[in-house]
Amino acid sequence: MTILQRKSRKRARHAKADEPVTETSVLSTEDTESRESGTAPDATKELPRVTESNGEFRPSAGGWIARLLTWAVLLWLLLAVPGNVLSPFDFGVSDINLAIAATIFAIIGLSLNVLIGYTGQLSLGHQAFVGIGAFASAYVVTDLGLSFWIAVPVAAGIGALQAALLGAVSLRVTGLYFALVTLAYGLFAEQSLFSFAEITGGDGGKPAERPAGFADDHLFYYLCFGFLVLVLWLDWRLTRSKAGRALQALRENPKVAASYGVDVKRYTLLAFVVSGTFAGIAGSLMAHHQQIIVPGIFSFQLALVFVVMTVVGGLRNRIGVVIGSAFFASLGEGGGAGDGGGFLERTIGLPAEFTGIVIGPILLLVVITLLPGGIGQLIAPVKNWMLGKRFDRHAGKLKEVEVSDVRA
Amino acid sequence: MSVLEVNGVSIHFGGVKALQNITLTAGEWEIVGIIGPNGAGKTTLFNCITGFYQPTHGTVRYRGRNITRREVHERAALGIGRTFQNVGLVKEATVLENLRTAQHLETEYNPWIGIAGGASSFFEEGRITRRGRQLLSLLGLSEIAAEPVADLPYGMQKRVEIAAVLATDPDLVLLDEPGSGMGPEEAHELGEMLLALRKQFGLSIVMIDHHVPLVTRVSDYMYCFNFGEVLAEGRPAYVRNHPEVARAYLGEEPDEEQHARENGQVDEVREGEHVS
Repeated sequence: MTILQRKSRKRARHAKADEPVTETSVLSTEDTESRESGTAPDATKELPRVTESNGEFRPSAGGWIARLLTWAVLLWLLLAVPGNVLSPFDFGVSDINLAIAATIFAIIGLSLNVLIGYTGQLSLGHQAFVGIGAFASAYVVTDLGLSFWIAVPVAAGIGALQAALLGAVSLRVTGLYFALVTLAYGLFAEQSLFSFAEITGGDGGKPAERPAGFADDHLFYYLCFGFLVLVLWLDWRLTRSKAGRALQALRENPKVAASYGVDVKRYTLLAFVVSGTFAGIAGSLMAHHQQIIVPGIFSFQLALVFVVMTVVGGLRNRIGVVIGSAFFASLGEGGGAGDGGGFLERTIGLPAEFTGIVIGPILLLVVITLLPGGIGQLIAPVKNWMLGKRFDRHAGKLKEVEVSDVRA
Repeated sequence: MSVLEVNGVSIHFGGVKALQNITLTAGEWEIVGIIGPNGAGKTTLFNCITGFYQPTHGTVRYRGRNITRREVHERAALGIGRTFQNVGLVKEATVLENLRTAQHLETEYNPWIGIAGGASSFFEEGRITRRGRQLLSLLGLSEIAAEPVADLPYGMQKRVEIAAVLATDPDLVLLDEPGSGMGPEEAHELGEMLLALRKQFGLSIVMIDHHVPLVTRVSDYMYCFNFGEVLAEGRPAYVRNHPEVARAYLGEEPDEEQHARENGQVDEVREGEHVS
């Protein structure tokens, strides 16, 4: 019914209909009117009630208990174990540092996912996005003496601003050329911005104090975890709302999107701003995690790790990206591990430099050849099961969708 | 006032004159058919009307307003909807999801509110989902609402595309070969559907198709294009029997064509034939 009501409103607005101009149209409408009568269904009739697809799967009581238990274990691992609450393990300082780095990397991964996954633009300069956020936050806290709670929005805003600038570039330059622009941007930031001692504190780094109440590593983890949850929420709503659908249409076919009334420029910029905001938040958290942030860590190699972890995690797969990013953080990338070194370094003695240049490319090859959906594809059956669906081994399989250019 | 007025539109790509001085009008609630051989400039004209191309000369008016320089999304907002020659849908998404995507302009919340997860966006999402389902049931597509578009047969995708265009709440719909890939039976059903939709939604329709029987049956007025020019225009029966049209399509001498029709041979054969 709504369809028709809206329609009639529009018709009244245009006040048309009763003044046909050409002779032909007068003749023809009469002509077809008679032909149609009887065949056309009456539009004012009640539309048939549409129900959800029947035969939907409902887990049994035992199934519900198993799912609840799995959820409980997951939450326990994420929330209780890192705080050494209700936990038999001793989660030490180097462990919690890795956990914090994992949450921060997850936010960075989600930021890149918006760019690579949703808009299809590759950024090779994301270390600059994160780095500028980090130094902005450190500057606000240390030089301006303001609170961490002001520094985070400032870092997010600066991240959004630089992303919007690059987004404006991306409207003209796309694909590989855009990747080159971001590469140049990252190197520019590395060589010039990060070498201003006034901003970055030089090689000695810039202090960035943690907010009151979160000075302890374990408590700071919960703070970072909270930000990750916030970013996950925003990303989820992005994909489930108008903007996400517009971006999906834009990525698959800009012409179709435009014919639906999607403003191409506006929504491309929106995606960049969202990505930059996430990167800014992550940068701020990174600064306050390390407490003294040095410019040296924001190197081009880090940008590559960011891209690899996002792709290995699975583009457009939120949980996959989080797991992929957390995995690379646990290898000790980006100086997040502190003195303890990465997970593999501590367990089997592989140095972090090795993991970065060997494990990353191997995983990338595996993903490109065998698992196009990345980790997200791998865990899709478990995820669906935990959300109350049937356990389906093939749940995450990507369909071969023939992407043909729509001729227009 | 006509809904659509194309006045003397020409477009040149380098030395190629894709359209030359095309003048075309579509009145209120009128169905205008365009036929013509491949490469005649039919789709190019659609691209000038929807804004993907800027005509070299001439103007495009929509309800009296000059829209020649407007952007594509602005024209969509004015109420011009279109379909594409090979299906213009998000293939990886489901049918219902596509209908929600198509309701972009109908979705009345700021995109930022949507990202933040404001309450209004949840209500609005519910509303456009219901509206999408209503449209699908109106077109008899309810059963495939949850199917990914890529899994559907081509003819079905074409129907979903029409549903998606209707979801944009258009006043003027440009259909680019809606009947392609359909057999005579399906094309007949499509014709019935277009006539019914015109009545229910109050649409003006401009359609390109190679199914000459389909176009002649539903159109009120018809144009035949050849080499970027209007070869013939008028009532469908007139255009269809125009000697030039037959020649452009079949490369036949008009006399022979005339002769064959007099003997009553052509019509039965041609009725279901896919002329392309």
